[in-house]
Amino acid sequence: MKNSRFWSPYVAGTLLGLTLLATFFVAGRGLGASGAFSLVTGVGLNAVTPGYAASLKYLSQYLGSPAPLMNWNLFMVIGVFLGALAGALSSRTFKVMFDKGASMSLGTRLVTTFTGGIMIGFAARLARGCTSGVALTGGAQLAVSGWIFVLAMFAAGFLVAAIFRRLWS
Amino acid sequence: MMAPFEFSEMAGLGLAVLFGAFFGLSLERAGLGDPHKLTGVFYFQDFTVPKVMFTAIVVAGTGLYLLADLHLLDLSRVYFVPTFFWPQIAGGALFGAGFVVSGYCPGTAVAGLASGKLDALVTMIGVGAGSLLFAVLFSALEGFYVSSDWGTETLQALLGVNHWIVLIVLAALAGGMFKFFSWYEKRVVHP
Repeated sequence: MKNSRFWSPYVAGTLLGLTLLATFFVAGRGLGASGAFSLVTGVGLNAVTPGYAASLKYLSQYLGSPAPLMNWNLFMVIGVFLGALAGALSSRTFKVMFDKGASMSLGTRLVTTFTGGIMIGFAARLARGCTSGVALTGGAQLAVSGWIFVLAMFAAGFLVAAIFRRLWS
Repeated sequence: MMAPFEFSEMAGLGLAVLFGAFFGLSLERAGLGDPHKLTGVFYFQDFTVPKVMFTAIVVAGTGLYLLADLHLLDLSRVYFVPTFFWPQIAGGALFGAGFVVSGYCPGTAVAGLASGKLDALVTMIGVGAGSLLFAVLFSALEGFYVSSDWGTETLQALLGVNHWIVLIVLAALAGGMFKFFSWYEKRVVHP
């Protein structure tokens, strides 16, 4: 196999599916990632400018609790980091680098990685979740939300890739 | 006692770390901490994302409805992802565009950082900035954000069929897609 340093995607996908099933069964909820970023943003802004953070209706949802960081979504993301780190170290695929498309300058990559991050951060708030919280969790629940998100995501992704071929190829 | 279960706050957070760790391990071991593999599908070069994603959806979906039909899991106490039709179409499309531009989504950026990718850290800071931008613009966006509220609509309710029909059709579509990927990889990507 060409990519033998990784698992078969079907094996990894099965483990991911069983993990999602376990969260449904044990905790009655799915996976999630983007919510933690919004939470940390809200708590961080509140530490810098408390009045302004509280004035933003969307962020004030995080600020009512006495310990807002004791949060399921945030602890899940900490787990994602630890699990991925264990995988990368144990398979010796861990390598510190600044990754980019083959024909892209470092400066351009700095712009695309940050701009793309803003886009997915904003989009995940609008859609009420990201690839994990809406696409995977909603998709497995056969929720309409999950499937319309998946279709819109792939349609736009193919379109942008066709227009900006040099991003990654 | 029927699943799902109730936990103390501490036990719940411990479980979140545990489930998150298996989530992160699956992503990293699939190669999904790597932006080249993550965006490969959009350039018809690497189909890891749809392979992992649709395998996971079929496994978890089958298990969820099987446990419910066996009366081992009370579906009414499972949080279902609500549908807000147009916000999720628009959000999904913007998300797909941002995914190709950055090379990551929020969860895979965390897996990327954990495998040493510093560009993933910049994406993560961007995700925070994008969340802040949404919060700042929320008063203008709120009308759209709460529009086309379909509640916890499911495909089987929408189509008026049994959930096993939907699951069998999805599994067959996924299987057909995986066969196509395997054919395409042999014929076009690595001939």
